[in-house]
Amino acid sequence: MSKFWVIFKKEYSQVVKKKSFIISILLTPIFMGGIMVVPALLANKKSTTAEKIVVVDQSQMGVGQKFVEEISEYKLEETEDNYYDVKELFTVLASDSARFAQVIDSLRNAIVEKELKYFLVIKPEAHMVDSNLYMVTNSDNFTSIKRFEYHLSQILSGIRLEQSNVNLGVDSVLEITRRIDLRTKDALGESIPFEIKYFGALILVMMMFSMVVGFGSLCMRTVIEEKNSRIMEVLVSSVSPFQLMLGKIFGLGAATFTQVSVWILMGSLLYTQRAFFDLDPSIDRLLFNPVIVIFFVLFLTTGYLLYSTAFAFIGSIVNNEKEAQGFIFPITMMLMLPVILGISVVQDPNSTMATVLSMTPFIGPSMMMMRVVFVAPTVTEYSLFSGIVGEATLALIVVILTTIFMIWLTAKIFRIGILMYGKRPNLPEILKWIRY
Amino acid sequence: MLLQLKEIHKEFDGKVAVDKLSLDVERGVIFGIIGPNGAGKTTTIRMVMDITRPDSGEILFDGKPADSGFRDRVGYLPEERGLYKKLTLEEVIVYMAELKGVSPRVIKPKINDWLERVDLIDYRKKKVEELSKGMQQKLQFVTTIIHEPELLILDEIFSGLDPINMEKIKEIILELKRRGTTILFSTHVMEQAEKLCDHICMISRGQKVIDGRLNDVKAQFGKNSIQIEIEGDGGFISSLPGVKGMSEFNNYIELRIDSSTDTNTILKEVANRVLVRRFDIVEPSLYDIFIDTAKIDPNQPAETGENHHV
Repeated sequence: MSKFWVIFKKEYSQVVKKKSFIISILLTPIFMGGIMVVPALLANKKSTTAEKIVVVDQSQMGVGQKFVEEISEYKLEETEDNYYDVKELFTVLASDSARFAQVIDSLRNAIVEKELKYFLVIKPEAHMVDSNLYMVTNSDNFTSIKRFEYHLSQILSGIRLEQSNVNLGVDSVLEITRRIDLRTKDALGESIPFEIKYFGALILVMMMFSMVVGFGSLCMRTVIEEKNSRIMEVLVSSVSPFQLMLGKIFGLGAATFTQVSVWILMGSLLYTQRAFFDLDPSIDRLLFNPVIVIFFVLFLTTGYLLYSTAFAFIGSIVNNEKEAQGFIFPITMMLMLPVILGISVVQDPNSTMATVLSMTPFIGPSMMMMRVVFVAPTVTEYSLFSGIVGEATLALIVVILTTIFMIWLTAKIFRIGILMYGKRPNLPEILKWIRY
Repeated sequence: MLLQLKEIHKEFDGKVAVDKLSLDVERGVIFGIIGPNGAGKTTTIRMVMDITRPDSGEILFDGKPADSGFRDRVGYLPEERGLYKKLTLEEVIVYMAELKGVSPRVIKPKINDWLERVDLIDYRKKKVEELSKGMQQKLQFVTTIIHEPELLILDEIFSGLDPINMEKIKEIILELKRRGTTILFSTHVMEQAEKLCDHICMISRGQKVIDGRLNDVKAQFGKNSIQIEIEGDGGFISSLPGVKGMSEFNNYIELRIDSSTDTNTILKEVANRVLVRRFDIVEPSLYDIFIDTAKIDPNQPAETGENHHV
């Protein structure tokens, strides 16, 4: 056991003492935060300049005029000027197709040249034929587009009502038929916005990924280095290959733990300043959900053990890092699967596919974590044998069993592989080693 | 008996590397395993170190199968050498000793003495990568012995060392022997074995061909060798009656003769044809014994896949 600690200590201090370790501790959260926060900030950025719009109206029912009036209600945040700067309202007769074509042409040009943001085309009978109404734009500002859609729906509905035989005032019909904004709540009567859950899950999965791949591959690199420097033979004459392997995995695991601890500390500091970041208060229900916290710790630990063992396996059979690259790709893909499948998992975290994948060795840790974040906050009762806790426990058992198998397998391969130089063993040879 | 190998056998892909080899290494001796490249020396040593497992046979250390404590009592210098390049000499020595179960507190006071003996004292705080290859080899030797092992196993220790350093290492080995350390070393260079060993074991193609105390081995072969120095072409000598074999060295010729042959007759025959500067009747060298016994030249490597297998 004492030899295990000697190796543990060496591997740990070798990593922690490095400047790159300290830099990565500081830079990774900044980088990851940047990826997630900056787009969010940009999306929420308050507009200070008016958006230019032109309306081309062939309806002869005053649709364009009404639309222009209604959108002029929107004001810019600071200056109280109009949010939409209506450059022009063309009223073109349906018969004057030459003029229409000329106007559309020049407007298209203006859009391409970015002199104009939107132009709206209202053709005759737009209230009857949906395709007779369209907008050309170079903007993805869906807030604006949603507003336009709302006002045009209202105006066209009004026209349809007037032309129908309904014996009611237009306004009262519109009031009766008004659209509602469906708010979703979970079983606890509260709601966590989708983005919060999605980013939360993403952060946890990415954290797991960077830990497992970062330190797991380091485990592989130290094995390759000791093989290449021919120091391995001396090492295994002093310690058993199994002690060496475990010392490495746990020593680097401790470095992982150190890094996560520092990050949690940094996260807590940020959390105390949450008002500044304008965070949705519902985030508390993710951060302090015991199921999420406990399973994150468990899946991170077991996931790390599983993957670093797999990396030790690879390190023992290859001769250099270039050879190892071919193996690393499929491994990282398995961990990233929840991110790649992304929306299809989070839209229905209890789908058969997501459930089966979360019970699959190697994919399990990250996939189950993603599901836990989406399902756990909505659960009212926890049972170890059913629901998300039961499934997560099952997934955990799968990961633990896979890890035990991997350690057993790698221990067999490791003691032979680390002393093999030159030719990389093929599958039959590896199978033979297992029987040694 | 400190170390006993009982009929150990190892094959790689059906090729016999070590063939039912038995050895008894007494406490306190310098035991040389000699043989040409590919004879099975390294495989034998790796089996002793439990790096390779024998297909059959048994290895006993101090009368018992080697247990976990065995590793701490042995110092092993493999033929394939290497150290952590980025660590300092001191760090490497401390780490290697720790792996042998010796705490840094015990090792640190000894570091200076040993580094001084191998002329590396100025490098104590330098990184291993700053050392030349020969220096690294001396450092590795220090890491092998500093925890004071009972059994020291040295695989081709002298390869790649210059004569001055070779002499230094030899001195240390002899000193360790005086302090009671048992030393098992392998070499394919017979002259080194001859100068150092108490006991030799020659192996060829995985089989033991000679095993015994160096003096006994030599006595067994009797004084049937002649070393002569001549001026002129000595090509005719090998065909003289009674001459079994001839090896030409730089400055002299060594002859192996039938025990029944009169050495005077040979001297006369040679003196008739060329000028004789020296004529010595000597014990056979290990080299000659080896050729006589194994019927192969140790300087010609055999064709086996040594080091490609474990």
